[in-house]
Amino acid sequence: MGGLQKKKYESGSATNYITRNKARKKLQLSLADFRRLCILKGIYPHEPKHKKKVNKGSTAPRTFYLLKDIRFLLHEPIVGRFREYKVFVRKLRKAYGKAEWTGVQRLRDNKPSYKLDHIVKERYPTFIDAVRDVDDALAMCFLFSTFARTGKCHVQTIQLCRRLTVEWMNYIITSRALRKVFLSIKGIYYQAEVLGQTVTWLVPYQFAHDHPTDVDYRVMATFTELYTTIMGFVNYRLYQTLNLTYPPKLDIKSEAGLKAEHEEGYAMDSESYMEKLSALSASLARVVNTAEEEEAEADHFPAEGEDVADLEAREKEQKEQDAQKRLFEGLKFYLNREVPRESLAFVIRCFGGQVSWDKSLCIGGTYEVTDETITHHIVDRPSIDKQYINRYYIQPQWVYDSINGKVKLPVEDYFLGVNLPPHLSPFVEEKEGDYVPPEKLKLMALQRGEQPGEEDEDDEEDEEEEEEDDDDEEEEEMDEEEAEEESNLKKIEHQRGQGKVPSVKVTPGKVKHEDRKRTEQEEQAEEKRLAIMMMKKKEKYLYDKIMFGKKRKVREANKLTAKRKAHDDATKTDKKQKKAKKTQ
Amino acid sequence: MAAARKHKRVAVSQPGFLSLKSSTDTSELNIGRKKRVNKNKKKNWNKFSDIQDVEEFLDDVRLQERATGGLIADKSDDSLFFLDIGESKKKESLPTGGEEEDKKKRKNKRPLKVDLILQANSHIPAPKDILAHQQPNAKKLRRKQEQAEQLAAKGVVPRRERLLELRRAAFAAGTPVREKTVPNNNPERAYYDLWGDQPAETADGFYLEQTKKKPVKRPEKLNERPSELPAIEVIAPGGSYNPDFFSHQELLREAHEVEVKKLKAEERLERQLAVNRQELATEETTFKEQIQGLLDEEEQDEGVADEMAGDEEDTGMVSSSQQEKKTERQRKKEKADKLKEQQRRTEREVTSKRQQLFQLRSIQLELKKREQRTRLRQSRRKALQLAQKTQPRRLGRLKFQNPDLDVQLSDELAGSLRRLKPEGSVLKDRFKSFQKRNMIEPRERAKFKRKYKLKYVEKRAFKAIT
Repeated sequence: MGGLQKKKYESGSATNYITRNKARKKLQLSLADFRRLCILKGIYPHEPKHKKKVNKGSTAPRTFYLLKDIRFLLHEPIVGRFREYKVFVRKLRKAYGKAEWTGVQRLRDNKPSYKLDHIVKERYPTFIDAVRDVDDALAMCFLFSTFARTGKCHVQTIQLCRRLTVEWMNYIITSRALRKVFLSIKGIYYQAEVLGQTVTWLVPYQFAHDHPTDVDYRVMATFTELYTTIMGFVNYRLYQTLNLTYPPKLDIKSEAGLKAEHEEGYAMDSESYMEKLSALSASLARVVNTAEEEEAEADHFPAEGEDVADLEAREKEQKEQDAQKRLFEGLKFYLNREVPRESLAFVIRCFGGQVSWDKSLCIGGTYEVTDETITHHIVDRPSIDKQYINRYYIQPQWVYDSINGKVKLPVEDYFLGVNLPPHLSPFVEEKEGDYVPPEKLKLMALQRGEQPGEEDEDDEEDEEEEEEDDDDEEEEEMDEEEAEEESNLKKIEHQRGQGKVPSVKVTPGKVKHEDRKRTEQEEQAEEKRLAIMMMKKKEKYLYDKIMFGKKRKVREANKLTAKRKAHDDATKTDKKQKKAKKTQ
Repeated sequence: MAAARKHKRVAVSQPGFLSLKSSTDTSELNIGRKKRVNKNKKKNWNKFSDIQDVEEFLDDVRLQERATGGLIADKSDDSLFFLDIGESKKKESLPTGGEEEDKKKRKNKRPLKVDLILQANSHIPAPKDILAHQQPNAKKLRRKQEQAEQLAAKGVVPRRERLLELRRAAFAAGTPVREKTVPNNNPERAYYDLWGDQPAETADGFYLEQTKKKPVKRPEKLNERPSELPAIEVIAPGGSYNPDFFSHQELLREAHEVEVKKLKAEERLERQLAVNRQELATEETTFKEQIQGLLDEEEQDEGVADEMAGDEEDTGMVSSSQQEKKTERQRKKEKADKLKEQQRRTEREVTSKRQQLFQLRSIQLELKKREQRTRLRQSRRKALQLAQKTQPRRLGRLKFQNPDLDVQLSDELAGSLRRLKPEGSVLKDRFKSFQKRNMIEPRERAKFKRKYKLKYVEKRAFKAIT
């Protein structure tokens, strides 16, 4: 025995952590600057496992950082910039105090600033790392770009954010990368697939914000500062991958098209160019003028350890995706003034549609309302005075639902004044046995290419009943019927277009085919039964448990569907009663 | 004085020296006893050696030089003496008529009194101001100039001029010479290919390290995310602007549960803080408290005394038993017992080990069970750890508080996109998300604190109205 007595808190976790105040003093920075530095460098506070040990016996709640992180911060050149800025502010204040206006001007001209490029490079060593982490950056940029210029943050920041978001949207349009859209009460969620990474972002609605008081704007501005830098570099690289010029330029053809519409004296040239870009209606110029849509069929080779089935599944997925990308190709949309222009224009262009709007609404509309080739007119009001006969007047939800469903949905559910079907979230992925709302079931059937008529049978019956009930409203009903017929015809046409022949003939060979299937199924069932029999007691127990859980889930789902049906019936009867009242 | 005497001596030692001052020889008056001083220290040499005679002599020399321009002794007699032959007759010969004019002339010619005063009266010219003629670093400068001339002859332009030339050229071309760093939020800022091919570092690693040009390696741990939560958490399907009935109900139920929980917590707090009626003082208890110690004092005292006595006895007993010593026999017996016990135990162990051979199956079973238990525990712990990763941590004084769920009631739901009223704030959502993902610590807004108290004074105008 012997040796020196060990002192407390001189080794172990107490030496691995440092409190925020100590770190601040070590770096000789003010708290605000320290916070800014930590955000920029991606150094976050830690919660130690043994707080009391780390805190040297005290249990006071403190913010801890890892000592190694702070040591790393010591090497950051930006720390010096922060100190310079501090001195600058001091000098400026002094000059103001002495009313030395020339001095103030001189100082202002030489205001110190810093760059974050090296930090971005350091935090994201490869480009794909940055793309993986771009969600946050996008959300912040979109958020800041919607801010009013009221002094809550720098106007320049808002402008920069706007520029970056426009660039991003243009990229998504050109690469047709959008996958999902969800209109929520909070904002619009978008999901895109960029270079194999799923990127999700949230865009607030274009209304004035009421600025919440419990948000630290300085912190948010710091995050934005970093994120704008990241976004810029990511955009640059993404544009490069598509051979687009950066900063984005409009295609000469489309620009000429816009110019014809463009009124003189609308805005300054530079501003109107930015606005034309943000209108999202024109395609971008490429570095090398290649023929549009020149996509070589990629050869697929099965990777090692991947069987043919997997490959097939992948190919099928690829095909589906390609089909989705061309969803709106050949369609011409016209946006009425009350619909959210930017979101719709973005979404429609992402899937190959053409879009235009009234020229008083925004710059960049490419055709007029009177254009005969318009196929869809998006309106969000109960009725419209002047209707053209050769186009559909639909509500905006149709566009979003079609995108999420990956098929062009039947338009009749979305006509003017019609009660809309619910807008389902595309971000929910139901597992086996979960409750699936009937709307989704319908959609899934549509996706499989089935005629929704079978499921609509009962609905139609209901409608028939309704007809019987209220003969007085024949005029309206007639209209509806006409619309329905039209839609049915359209559907058949659509199917023909897709290359499917509606099955009219009955083929005799089908019965046999079914038989074989059935025998196969029976065999499988038998095998399963035998396997269950052969199970060990323990495994059997586990199996039973799993099966019980599944059954329970199914039971719950059934309960919910039953509930839904009851609810629907109730609403229907309500409607009928109302109608009856009206007629009376 | 001894000094005077010495002076004389010095003066005398100079052959042919004439002193200007008439020395009043007072030296003989105070000849005291000589003070004896040790002269072995330099300080004493300076202090006590008498050099006045030398100084006086030198002063006299200087005075003579000043006054006459040299030593009087060296002067020729002609310059010192003149023959007094009375007034010259020139004045008389002058005509009387121009006397006044003459006076005037003389007055004009005579220099001003001020000038006379200011005139140098010393015969020794003032020493030359060397510094006025000297140039500091003259040699160096001369050499520099020579060098510059040489370079100019060769055609080399100095750096300053070169830079000036460059600046001029840049100005003519219209590009700024030194690029100003653009602030980060400049909307026109340019981006470049950050992840492009960098030119390979050719410089020596050590050199870069020493000159701090080599970036410090980022710790690996920093690349871990502080939380496994996704950056954007998509709202539940019930949060759609036109939701499916059941998913909306589900969301409402969730929000309701949160609300209920909050209410319950509040109620509990209130219940715990409420005053307990039973513990309140009644009249009876207050009276009892007041008279405590006044009644039956004696009885209580006695009781206490009894207890005290009992305690003392007990302690006495214990102490006496402890003090008793064990006898030799007892000791031996204890030792033997101990040995026996040990033996018994070892025997038992041996037999049980032998028996274990026949219990192999049960032992195996037990082992298996134990392994299973550990596996179960491991998996549970892992699951817990995984769950912890998505949990907000306690990072400061405040705990993270979940934001209120954004919900629209059934009657608030808008039928169409046009009539939709957005719920909640995206900004707040983002901020809370950062907190939830442990990127910033939860904080509360700093409270406004007034340094001084407000003082209310009624102004006169206000008083006049009321």
